[in-house]
Amino acid sequence: MACIAIINGKIYPASNKPDMPFEIPRGVILIENGKIRAVGEHVDVPAGSEVVDVSGSIVTPGLIDAHCHIGISEDGATQAGDDTNESSDPITAEVRALDAINPKDIAFKDAIAAGVTCVQTDPGSANIIGGQSLVMKTWGSSVVDELVLKFPSGMKAALGENPKRVYGSQNKMPKTRMGNAAVMRRALTEAQDYLRKKDSAQGQSDKQPDFDLRKEALTAVIKKEIPLRIHCHRADDIVTAIRIGKEFDLCISLEHCTEGDKVLESVKNSGFPVTMGPCLTDKSKLEVKDIGFTAPYVLSKAGVTLALITDHPVLPIQYLRLCAGLAIREGMDQEFALLAITRFPAEICGVSDRVGSIEPGKDADLAIWTKDPFEYDSKILYTFINGKCVYQGTDPGQIGGKSI
Amino acid sequence: MKETMAIVDATIYPVSSVPIENGILLMSGGKILQVGENVTIPQGATVIDAKGKMILPGFVDAHTHVGIWSEWYGQAESDGNEGSNPVTASVRAIDAVWPDHFAFKDARSGGVTCVQVTPGSGNVIGGETVVVKTFGTVVDDMVVRNPAGMKGALGENPKGSYGSQGKAPKTRMGIASILRNALFKAKDYLRKLEAGLEDPSKMPDTDLDMLSLVKVLKKEIPLRVHAHRADDIVTAVRIAEEFDIDYSIEHCTDGIEVADFLGKRKAKVNIGPTIWHRAKIETLNISPQTPGALSRAGCHVSIISDHPFHPIQHLVTAAAVAWANGMSEEDALKAITLNPAITLGVDDRVGSLEPGKDADFSIWTGHPFKIRSKIETVFIEGEKVFG
Repeated sequence: MACIAIINGKIYPASNKPDMPFEIPRGVILIENGKIRAVGEHVDVPAGSEVVDVSGSIVTPGLIDAHCHIGISEDGATQAGDDTNESSDPITAEVRALDAINPKDIAFKDAIAAGVTCVQTDPGSANIIGGQSLVMKTWGSSVVDELVLKFPSGMKAALGENPKRVYGSQNKMPKTRMGNAAVMRRALTEAQDYLRKKDSAQGQSDKQPDFDLRKEALTAVIKKEIPLRIHCHRADDIVTAIRIGKEFDLCISLEHCTEGDKVLESVKNSGFPVTMGPCLTDKSKLEVKDIGFTAPYVLSKAGVTLALITDHPVLPIQYLRLCAGLAIREGMDQEFALLAITRFPAEICGVSDRVGSIEPGKDADLAIWTKDPFEYDSKILYTFINGKCVYQGTDPGQIGGKSI
Repeated sequence: MKETMAIVDATIYPVSSVPIENGILLMSGGKILQVGENVTIPQGATVIDAKGKMILPGFVDAHTHVGIWSEWYGQAESDGNEGSNPVTASVRAIDAVWPDHFAFKDARSGGVTCVQVTPGSGNVIGGETVVVKTFGTVVDDMVVRNPAGMKGALGENPKGSYGSQGKAPKTRMGIASILRNALFKAKDYLRKLEAGLEDPSKMPDTDLDMLSLVKVLKKEIPLRVHAHRADDIVTAVRIAEEFDIDYSIEHCTDGIEVADFLGKRKAKVNIGPTIWHRAKIETLNISPQTPGALSRAGCHVSIISDHPFHPIQHLVTAAAVAWANGMSEEDALKAITLNPAITLGVDDRVGSLEPGKDADFSIWTGHPFKIRSKIETVFIEGEKVFG
C-alpha cells in the first residue's frame, strides 16, 4: 500500500517526546498502513506516495473527547434511542456501553466534521455505579466492535445530585450524599469480598463463589485494571471521590470536577486525572452553579492533567475545540489547551499508545485546519482516521463572511 | 452615577453605521450624546482612555426566560409555564421575573443589557412577554416595554404538555384550532367592546384573556410564535396572515427549508439556541448555518439564547459561531443588537450607539469574533454594571 505524505502544513504534534517541538512550522507527516511512519521538518517521501499539499493550514492530532455519550444517547431519537442510564438499580456495574452504541447516531458525522476522531462513551450518572465505558474511533465501521480501541476503559460512577434525585424520588436509597457514598462503598466492599473468595479458592471449582456478573465487573476496578470514573461537580463531592478512591486504593478519574478550583490543593495532591466540562452549558442545577471556563484555567495553571470534555449531547460534540478556545480566552495557555483535547484525554482514557499525538507508530488520526483551530472561523479541511481521509470540508466562511 | 463621560480613542461599532476608528462616545444622564471622530468633550466630563479597545452596543437578546425559569431550586423558582390551560393569554411574564436571579448577572457579564422575557412554550398561547434591562432590583424599574408580545407555541411542546394528560391539543391540528379559536373569540370580544364604547349597556364582562388577545388583534403587540419544524413555521405564518396580525417566528430551527417563503415576507425570525443538541425531533435540523442563510434570504434575523437553554453570557459566542458559518460580520453583529431591538419594538432606546439612545454598551479588548477577545466593562444607562 502506497504511503500518504501530508506536506507543507504547520504541525502541532502534541507529543511529549523530548525531541519533538510544540510546533513544526512547515513539516511532513508520512502515513503508511494507517499509522504514522514519520513526522518532521525533513522527511523522505518514498516514490509513489500520494502527496497531499496542505500549505497554509494547521495539522493537529485528531481531537479526543474523554467523556461523552455519543452512540448511546442518540441525537433527536428521544426514548427510542436513549440508552444512557440503566436506572433500574443504583449499582449496575455489569452493564456495558458497548452493548448500546448505535454507530449510525448522526452525531458521529458531526464529530468527524469537527476533527473529533476518538471518544470515550460512558454510561450516564443516574446510578452510583453506572457500568462500563469504552473508547472508540468515530468512524470506520457499522460494527461497534470494530471501532473499539479499549473496552472496558473504565467503570462509570456518580456522586452528587443525580443519583439521589433518581432514587430518592422513588423513596429508595440513596436519598442523600451520605447514601451515595454508602452505596458506593458497599458495592466496592462486596467486590473485594468476592475477589478474596475467588483468590482463596485457588482455582478449586468447589470453593469458587457463585459467578456474579456485577461483582466480576467491579473486580477490574479493585485490581486497578480500570479506573473508577466518578461524576463529581460540587467541591465536597470531589473530595468524597478522592476519599473513597484512596480508601480503596483505586485508580479514579474526577469527571466534570466543576468546582475543582475550590479544592485545588486536594485535587492537585490526589494526583488523580481530571476531565472538565461541559463548560459551555447552562447552570441547570445547583451542583453546576459556577460552571464556566475559570476552573479549567485555574487547574491548568496548577499543572493538573485535565481533559476538556463536551459530555455530548449536553454540549454537541462538534464544539469540543470551541471549549478549548474559550478556555484560552479565560487565560489557559494555548499549548495546554491543545493538549487538553488531544494527548491528555488519550492518557486519561488509557489509549495514548495509539492516539493523542502525532508520532511515529501512532494511528494516523489527524485534524487539518484552515487556520488557528481555536479561532471561531477556523474550518476543517480534512479529517483523517487510521490514515484514511474520512471528511473533507468546504469553507462556508467564504459564502458570506469576510475577514475581520 | 450617570455623569457626563467621554470614552476616547476606541474603535466604535455603532452598528447602525460604519465602524469608527479612534472614536469618542460621549454620554450624560444615562443617554448617548454623541458618537464620532470629532466630538467636543465638555469641561468637567470624565474621560476614559480606551485605546486599542472596541465598543459595541449592549447586546439585546430577543428571546429568553431569564428570571422566570427553574434552574437551581426546582419548583420554587419554576415560573416559566403556567401549564394549567393551553390558553393563558392573560398571564404576564413581568409578574414572575425575579431580578435577583443569577442569570441577570451572567447576562451583564456577557454584555447583554436588554432581554425579552417570554413565558415558555407549554401552552398554545402562553401569555404576555416583557422587555427589561438586565440590571435592577425592582422589575418595574427595569422595564423597557410591557407588554412586548404575546407568546404562542406550535409543535411538540403544547401537544406533549396536554396530549399526555388526555386533553387537547393532542396533535398539530389541535394546536392550530385552539389558536384560531382563541383569536376568533377575541375578535368577537373586540366587536362587543367597540359596541360597549358606544352604548355602555352593551359592554361585555371583563375577560382578561380576551383583553390580552385584543392587543394582538389591534397590532399593539405581535404574536411571538414558537415554531421549530418547517411546517410549524408555515402554520404560524398562515394563521398570522389569516388574522392580519404582526408576528415573529421564535426558534425557526428549520428556517432554511422555507427560506424563500420567509424571505419574501421579510419575516422577523428569532433564531436559536443554535449551540445546542438535537434535543427533540423538531430540532433535528439545528445548525449554526441557519442565521446566515435566512439573513441572505432577506429575513430580519436575530440570534437568541433562549436562556437557560444556551447560557445567556454566551449570546455573543452564538453570533460568532453564526459568523464563522457564513453570516456576514455586519449581519451577525446586528443579530444581537439592532435587529432584536427592532423586533422587540425598543429600537428608539437600544440596539445601536446613536445620540439620544440609552448609554448601554460594552468595551472589549478586541473584536468579539476573535476567540481571545475579552469583555472588560459593561454599562447600562451610563452606569458601570460589570468590570
